[in-house]
Amino acid sequence: MRRTLLIPFIAVCVASRLPAQLLQLRITGLDGLASKATESADITLDSNLLQMAAGFLAGADKENKDGETLKQLLTGLKAITVRSFKFKESGQYRREDLEPIRAQLRSPGWSKIISSQTKEESSEIYTRIERGKVAGFAIIAAEPKELTIVAIEGSINLNDLSKLKALGVPSIPVPDKKGKQE
Amino acid sequence: MNLEDELRAALRREDPSLGFAKRVVARAKPSPQSNRPIFRMAWAVAIAAMLLIGLTATYEARQMKAERAGRDAVMALRIAADKLNNAREKVVRREN
Repeated sequence: MRRTLLIPFIAVCVASRLPAQLLQLRITGLDGLASKATESADITLDSNLLQMAAGFLAGADKENKDGETLKQLLTGLKAITVRSFKFKESGQYRREDLEPIRAQLRSPGWSKIISSQTKEESSEIYTRIERGKVAGFAIIAAEPKELTIVAIEGSINLNDLSKLKALGVPSIPVPDKKGKQE
Repeated sequence: MNLEDELRAALRREDPSLGFAKRVVARAKPSPQSNRPIFRMAWAVAIAAMLLIGLTATYEARQMKAERAGRDAVMALRIAADKLNNAREKVVRREN
């Protein structure tokens, strides 16, 4: 009797988890780029680490609002993955290298909300909406000497995210963009 | 009396008094009542010290992990915010 009840229960649990896992963006095919890059960032944070990070940031920054804002931003997140590479010269990666990631983002559930493409560079922003809320967020920013992929799993307010710089979180040092064609 | 006789007298074999062996054995045995509390206290202090060291090390390791996670999270969100704003700016410029 117990067995007959247990099997459907497990099946329902697995089925309910499966779509989320399938929709979770996996950044693959970029492993060889780190050795070519002059600077690279490889950040992977799961929900446990994000909870720890939120606790640490809230405790470390009690006196100003940044810690609380960051904590709020992190609270709804389940995972963050960032792969960022800066190269000395252009042509260190191919557009095809990004195809496995783009293929995942073409699957149902994901929609492209911002796309800016020129001959040399492209910026794409994708979101995944579940029950009217942003449940996933992805960025592909490909420039001649810089490549950044960001995958965020969980609910996030993009306006709050874009305000981070205004709140005093220092900006990352990016190469001089003067003279670059948009 | 010459020296030889004196030595012989001094080193002559003598039987111990009655009950000597029992007294020696009794002295050699540790007194259980006097030593036990010290041993127990020493063990308790050692265990407490080990627990304290273990807990402190665990706490420190967790703090370091949280600190690193916090830095990584800020860095990740910073990169995401930067790229999001760049993409938005590009679209706004293109539309203007």
